[in-house]
Amino acid sequence: MKITDAAVFPYPNGDTSVRRFALEAGALGFDSLVAIDTPAATYGDVEVKSGILFHDLPVKDIINRMKRFRGTDAVISVKAGDGGFNRAVIGMKGMHVLRCVHAADKNAFDHVSAKMAADNAVAVDIDLSVITRSRGVARQRAMVRYRDILVLEQHYEFPLTLSTYARSVLDLRAVREFSGLCSLLDMDLAVVEKALGGIGAVTTPPVPAVREVS
Amino acid sequence: MTVRPPTLRDKRRYLVVRVDPPGTPVDQKELYYAIADAITALYGDVAAAVMIQAVVAAEGDYVFIRCRRGTERELATALSTITSLRDTRIAVRIIAASGTLESLRERIRAIPLPSLPEGENPDVLFDKKVFTPVYGNGQKIDVIEKGFKNTHRYFLISEDLEST
Repeated sequence: MKITDAAVFPYPNGDTSVRRFALEAGALGFDSLVAIDTPAATYGDVEVKSGILFHDLPVKDIINRMKRFRGTDAVISVKAGDGGFNRAVIGMKGMHVLRCVHAADKNAFDHVSAKMAADNAVAVDIDLSVITRSRGVARQRAMVRYRDILVLEQHYEFPLTLSTYARSVLDLRAVREFSGLCSLLDMDLAVVEKALGGIGAVTTPPVPAVREVS
Repeated sequence: MTVRPPTLRDKRRYLVVRVDPPGTPVDQKELYYAIADAITALYGDVAAAVMIQAVVAAEGDYVFIRCRRGTERELATALSTITSLRDTRIAVRIIAASGTLESLRERIRAIPLPSLPEGENPDVLFDKKVFTPVYGNGQKIDVIEKGFKNTHRYFLISEDLEST
């Protein structure tokens, strides 16, 4: 299992080069990163996976754009929208991560979406930057949403991912800090460990139910 | 008021943290208020009163923070929510926790002091723009874009730089 930060934004989207991100992430205890709009590479011991993030697009456009990345190693993610939108994108072939669920409508990710996510091996991302950067009501609302997602996760067992949404090395957090921040959501260590390896779980092709024996 | 005997005193723990980016001037009082604000926002006044955190000393990029024993984990979590000091963006990296300041000082003494090489540091080229190096440590190099009023720091490594 590779410990992965599921979303960072290297230069030009942020102020840190992808190599520096990899160097710092390695020092903070990570094995891999998902770098949005950046080609995949390996720097030192840290694997950088290419990440694609679709946001504010209609379902039709997402389907068309997703075709381009099918079969590649890119981690494809979509920003959550309303309930219908989320169900549509979770059902898409090649979809990996549903992001920003905390910012979507209250009922945008319900038990039906949770069941679909579990069946299609689509992860739901927990954006820790909301907890570190925001204060007051905004943080409280996000924490309520995440707790709600965790209740569904316990029941349906869909994959989770954890991300910092770092645009700078200053936004990165150590693995130990991840577990401290997740403890605020009542996530125990086993769930945190599983979520840190969530990207590996959704990008690894599923084991076929039937195996051909020659 | 007489000093309490050791058995009646609160047990304390000390955390040593590094304030990133290196070279950021750290005012102890400002940092104390930033930590107090982070703890209160995250855990509330009750937990803050239990922690009784204090900024004991700031030595270079390293800061020693005291708290009541048993609350280190909560303090560490609160520290990870600090993103700025006044208007400067910072990150607080926890290096170690201990029961005595002396053992923490020994720990940071073992860490080599990073800096740019002495003398003139030539400007560097990155993404077809000219930058001035402000900090260097091994492969890491922090730069500021050359030009009037530019203060935004970019975090690179030596391999990112283009040859002039």
